Amino acid sequence: MPEPLLQLSGVHAAYGQVEVLRGIDLTVGEGEVVVLLGANGAGKTTTLRAICGMVGTRGSVQLAGTELVGKPTEWIVRRGISHVPQGRGVFGVLDVEENLRVGAWGRKDGKGIEADIERWYGVFPRLAERRHQLAGGMSGGEQQMLAIARGLMARPRLLLLDEPSLGLAQIITRGLFAQLEDINREESVAMLIVEQNAELALSFAHRGYVIESGSIVLSGTADEVRGNDDMRRAYLGY
Amino acid sequence: MSPNIDNPAYLLQLVTSGLTNGALYALVALAVVLVYKTTSHINLAQGEMATLGAFAVFELGRHGVPVWIAIGIALVLSFLFGAGLERGLIRPLEKRGVFPVILATLALFLIINALVAIFWGTQPVAAPRPFPSGIEDKFDILTGPPPFFITHVALGILAVLVALLVGLWLLLEKTKLGLGYRAVAANREAAEVMGIPVGRMFMFGWGIAAALGTLAAGLVAETAGTLDFNSMAAILIFGLAAATLGGFDSVPGAAVGGLALGLVMAVVPGVFTFIKGDLSLVIALIVVLVVLLVRPQGLFGTKTLERV
Repeated sequence: MPEPLLQLSGVHAAYGQVEVLRGIDLTVGEGEVVVLLGANGAGKTTTLRAICGMVGTRGSVQLAGTELVGKPTEWIVRRGISHVPQGRGVFGVLDVEENLRVGAWGRKDGKGIEADIERWYGVFPRLAERRHQLAGGMSGGEQQMLAIARGLMARPRLLLLDEPSLGLAQIITRGLFAQLEDINREESVAMLIVEQNAELALSFAHRGYVIESGSIVLSGTADEVRGNDDMRRAYLGY
Repeated sequence: MSPNIDNPAYLLQLVTSGLTNGALYALVALAVVLVYKTTSHINLAQGEMATLGAFAVFELGRHGVPVWIAIGIALVLSFLFGAGLERGLIRPLEKRGVFPVILATLALFLIINALVAIFWGTQPVAAPRPFPSGIEDKFDILTGPPPFFITHVALGILAVLVALLVGLWLLLEKTKLGLGYRAVAANREAAEVMGIPVGRMFMFGWGIAAALGTLAAGLVAETAGTLDFNSMAAILIFGLAAATLGGFDSVPGAAVGGLALGLVMAVVPGVFTFIKGDLSLVIALIVVLVVLLVRPQGLFGTKTLERV
């Protein structure tokens, strides 16, 4: 097996005295889509935050062999990680195009940035229509598209998505996942996705992990995870 | 009512002096807003730092440096001082909460005020004069009687405010640095995740604010003719009121708030003479209170809303 793109080994994370992650081991290969499932409060969001250095973390997080623990967030994201936070986190008082330009902050290739902006407008035509509107005035689905497009503007090797379907209508969620699938296939952008909609996420992911009270309790290919009885009862409801 | 109420020259004079004073409040308000937007702190020492900057101009002038060059040097020094203060004092304190920061800026207010008095004494000194300020340096508009004129100083102050607003707008809206600043102001954590060096944006805001303050203090001294260690004490109050009026996180709001405050403080006692000029501060604060009752976020401010 080649060296994974992202490797978490024995990761502990805590908010103050409250330990949320208790020794997580997790890998994401080059171009691989991995889904992280779990109940509310299990530590899914914290896992993503630990990767980005946004929470006090012990253990090891390596991106293509480079240690990330202890580094500042801005340094980590410049190594090729894009984090699309939960609740989207778009800049409401900036317009759509400015949001995309912020996403390309670490890049110096002006022409490439312009080309990418047009490219994501092509993928998400709604954003093109609203390019000079303030992001804060858009619908939840549009903000989600913007957050993902903004994340991709950095040309990441690894995209971290935190609950991309949160608050979106079913049909929009399906469209969004179809887009993500295309992006993964064409760009070979690796993805680590935290998702409530386990069924949908597993149909698109290569592998999955289940996290419970800060520990990984199950991992395997998407089919293996889907086939596990405990998993089915807990998250798929049948 | 003033007996001069039907005299256009009198009214124009009130408006001009109101706008000129208002421009000074607007400059201080801008400084307060630029600090507040990114770091969410109110720098109570903003006025005293400005006084220090104006004394730097004075000191350079005393050593024969031409006034505009002296102002340029003082602006650069102020920028560095403001940025350094953010990095060296405010950011370490910030981890301990908002109150230590407020207290630190209050302490700075007192320390700088005392240091200026120690170095340059408590007696007023002659202000540096960037604009021609002789008795004849004015544009006559109405020959009168009574005449209406605009002094070169008043025109200069308004020109500086307009130039600054245009410059700030270009800087914030049209440059990558400005985009980063606005992103940090909009959502600090999201900006960090985008790889924006958040700390440098904080320093940038504090630096620009300090430079703006120095410019304001220079112009305050120019209008008054003298400069002393307490020159900016009252102006800071008006600047804070102007920022509150316009909305604490709005650059255009600071400008409009300052000008509106200046106008109200000049025109209301000028027209209703039973209100003495001494009461203009009270009038100004009443205006601020009324606006805040109707629009708590100020005229141009954004409501804070958190989406989770």
